[in-house]
Amino acid sequence: MIKIENLSKVFSTEEVETKALNEVSLQIKQGEFVTIMGASGCGKSTLLNIIGLLDNVSGGSYKLLDKEINGLKESERAKIRKENIGFVFQNFNLIDELSVYDNIELPLIYNNVPAGERRKKVEAIAERLAISHRLKHFPQQLSGGQQQRAAVARALVNDPKIILADEPTGNLDSKNGNEVMELLTDLHANGATILMVTHSDYDASFSQRTILMKDGMILSEQQNSRKVDVFVG
Amino acid sequence: MFNNWLKIFLYQIKNNKFFTLLNLLGLSMGIAGLVFAILYWNDEHEYNAWNPEKERVFSVSNDLGKDMIWASNIAPLQKYLKGIPNVESYCYLNNWYQNEMVEYSGKKEQLKITNAQSTFFSFFPFRFIEGDANNALKDDTSIAISEKTAQKFFGTEKALGRQLKYADKILVVRGVYRIPGKSSFAPEMVVNMLAPRLKQDEEEWGNYGYGLLLKLKDPAASHEVEKAIEGLYYEYRTKPWAKNDGLSIEEFIKVNGSAKVILEQLATSRLHSVAGGYPEGNGNYLFLAIMAALSILIIVLSIVNYVNLTTANAIKRAKEVGVRKILGATKANIVRQFIFEAVATTLIGVVIALVIVELVLPFYNNFLQKTLVLSSNQFYLQLIAIFIIVVIAAGIFPAVYVANFETLNVLKGNFSRSKSGIWLRNGMLILQFAIASFFITGSYVVYQQVNYMSTKDLGFKGEQIVQVNYIRKDTEPKQILARYNAVKQELLKIKGVQAVSSGAFTFGSYATSTSGYNYNDTRVQAQNMAMDFGMLEMMQIKMAKGRMLSDKYASDTISNMLINEVAMNMMKEKDPIGKVINWNDQQLKIVGVVKDFHVSSPQTTIPPMSFFHYKTVEWFPEMLDKFYIKLDADTTEATMAEIEKLWTTKVNTENPFSYDFVDKGFARTYESYVKQRNLFSLLNAVVIIIALFGLFALASYSIERRMKDIAIRKTLGAQTKALLTELSKQYIVFCIIGFLIAFVPAWLLLNKWLDNFAFRITISAIPFIVGFVVLMALTLTVVLSRAYMATRVNVLKYLKYE
Repeated sequence: MIKIENLSKVFSTEEVETKALNEVSLQIKQGEFVTIMGASGCGKSTLLNIIGLLDNVSGGSYKLLDKEINGLKESERAKIRKENIGFVFQNFNLIDELSVYDNIELPLIYNNVPAGERRKKVEAIAERLAISHRLKHFPQQLSGGQQQRAAVARALVNDPKIILADEPTGNLDSKNGNEVMELLTDLHANGATILMVTHSDYDASFSQRTILMKDGMILSEQQNSRKVDVFVG
Repeated sequence: MFNNWLKIFLYQIKNNKFFTLLNLLGLSMGIAGLVFAILYWNDEHEYNAWNPEKERVFSVSNDLGKDMIWASNIAPLQKYLKGIPNVESYCYLNNWYQNEMVEYSGKKEQLKITNAQSTFFSFFPFRFIEGDANNALKDDTSIAISEKTAQKFFGTEKALGRQLKYADKILVVRGVYRIPGKSSFAPEMVVNMLAPRLKQDEEEWGNYGYGLLLKLKDPAASHEVEKAIEGLYYEYRTKPWAKNDGLSIEEFIKVNGSAKVILEQLATSRLHSVAGGYPEGNGNYLFLAIMAALSILIIVLSIVNYVNLTTANAIKRAKEVGVRKILGATKANIVRQFIFEAVATTLIGVVIALVIVELVLPFYNNFLQKTLVLSSNQFYLQLIAIFIIVVIAAGIFPAVYVANFETLNVLKGNFSRSKSGIWLRNGMLILQFAIASFFITGSYVVYQQVNYMSTKDLGFKGEQIVQVNYIRKDTEPKQILARYNAVKQELLKIKGVQAVSSGAFTFGSYATSTSGYNYNDTRVQAQNMAMDFGMLEMMQIKMAKGRMLSDKYASDTISNMLINEVAMNMMKEKDPIGKVINWNDQQLKIVGVVKDFHVSSPQTTIPPMSFFHYKTVEWFPEMLDKFYIKLDADTTEATMAEIEKLWTTKVNTENPFSYDFVDKGFARTYESYVKQRNLFSLLNAVVIIIALFGLFALASYSIERRMKDIAIRKTLGAQTKALLTELSKQYIVFCIIGFLIAFVPAWLLLNKWLDNFAFRITISAIPFIVGFVVLMALTLTVVLSRAYMATRVNVLKYLKYE
């Protein structure tokens, strides 16, 4: 599903060049649940942003669904993004001015889904995530866990091929955090491909595979709580 | 999609009530200002638009040099006009209305009457309801009347063939017309009675007494016609007159000058005529242009406000935009959303503007002396055009600005402190400061000039002096004077009447006639200030040299005259007392020099004047058409009632009693400038309010953006005072830059405006100092109040955030 080879990303200011990603190679198969871990500044968010087509690469190759992304125009990337990728953020990024229903509906609007179908889809996904009774509320009126469920619903409503979650439990207490992780596990069990960035070992333990990053490189991979050392150039 | 946009839009309005209100008010005031200017513009441009001949009809005026441009012409041209190839037809007429009484079987009405040759209706082809244009003026007893006049006299009955009594003649109605639109000639009755006068003046090459309209075959070649008429003047006037004076033609022209002919097209004459020459008057083009320019400045200001507020507010909405983009919105999509918001805001703005216009229109109409209404397809098309322009100007920039937010920056959360777009907002703020200082300075200068005019020493005192119009029956000069003296004696018997005199001139206008004389090789075309004794004394006009005219000297009614200082200077005569002037072949001795006083208005130059007693020149009594009466201030009302009684019972039983207080009549001559001052002050207030809205909102946003900065400084121990300085200093700099930008244009434009006045103030530093101080004070008030509020906040709220 995702194939990354020798991917580099360099941030340069007038004086300093920072290599955020250094020749990273990575493969994620359909239906996998992968976690990226690492200290602040190790490049994990940059990697997630690149996979989510929010950022450009400086070198290397990124194939999503066997299609080379590197070199595509902004508008083409926007199209691929809206059709294939769902985002879940640490701070939820719900639009405060819109109700939960309107927030969830938004991706469908931008994908030109007809109004009747939109309603069905929003209601179905809300049902599935147990927030049907909250659809008319505004984000500020919900608990953190409910907000994150709404955000997940929004990420899922358009049936994306892959879900990118950036520290989805970072702003939640442990109870709500647990709920969200169980939700993601559930989705995975139903066949979703998930890539998650987190600081928490506990959260990572929900996934099949954990990738540890440091200084822009992949340091190690850990599968099913069984550690396998890999060497990266 | 639309629904979604609307929800966000309404949410923004609901949660930013105050700023939305400021934004909308600014925008709607700007639009309202523009609507007012457009209504006025349309009204003035409607004049003669209906007239299919407007391109081919020209009025003839004569430039006699020395600022004398007359819309009047001489009779003897008539027989030569047909000889000019480009002239298709001509029409001699009075280019003013005779306001006189017309009678039908005992019923009297005062009508605006145009006295014209029979071709009149081919120049102003009014629509005929009864009769037809060709026969309406076929002889001197045939008249045409307007539809309204017909209704006044005959109700719903047919008017054709009925007989009206006017000027002791029986006239037959040959046509009833309706005027299709606004027209430079809009008489209530048209008569054809000019022929005897034209006949009498047939050889009078110096008597400018008639309006003249020409219809040209080729309007583009009007200059050739001007040259042709000048050629006629040369041939039939300059040549024989030079010969008569024993001068060569060159010498004659050097002394007497020569008239230049000006042809003005009807289509553009309403606003661009220099000579006037139509009874409905001219539009005030300068005022219209000022009005239009200022309203454009105001709309620019309010658009700048909108852009500023929207982009500032957009930073708050960066998250929304970022999320939308992640969820698949394209740039075009975001642009459309923000343009949608501009459309919605502008729409509300237009509606509020129309409400404002509707409410203020009666005052505006009163102000312009017009009857403008909010209607006409043309106006609605213009309104749509304004709408589109405002949406484009106000909507596109913020939309593109927002659509270009870097999604990643936004989501990383450090966007709200970004400096993106700040140069633009500051630039616009400076523009606002510039416009505001222009207005403050401008209205101060206008105020000064109008104040200067209204407090200027006019050289006469018009308080408690009433001018009563006198319509004579007598035609014989001796009888006229005898009757005048009889009425004067009657008036003096009335309690409260302190003095009675008469002069053949009107304060606020000029003398009834002018005559020229040569002195020291200069031609002086002076106002004929014919008068009764006591006139100058009554007006408290002072003498510069010599003495006033008095009944003590028999020669004062025979061969003595006075001149004013302007005439004295033109004559290049240091000591004119005792000098003799050849005045139309009459030898008149100067016995005094009158101190200059304003006769026409305080903004025009004082013309040369000659003062005589009515008896001095044989035909002067014919100009006696008004009394000047000085009243006791305590009994003014009662005295006026008595005078009116005397007038309507004994002096003139036919015409209504009409009078005017001299000081009030004179004040009307600069009324339009008083109005300009008031309008300018009003616009000034509007501009300052809009600019302050903008400043307030922008300062609020920018301070909000810096709240974290403020919080950190406070934790580090910053004093309130230091914080205030930190927060305000940039606005002070912008204020100064804005003021400097406005300085030169303001100075130039105001000087240009002041050039309209013969007597004007010079622009001193004071208006600029005042403008600067006021602007700075307002800026500081707004910014400091916002900044002070900011320093009072709870530090923790902002440090915990993020």
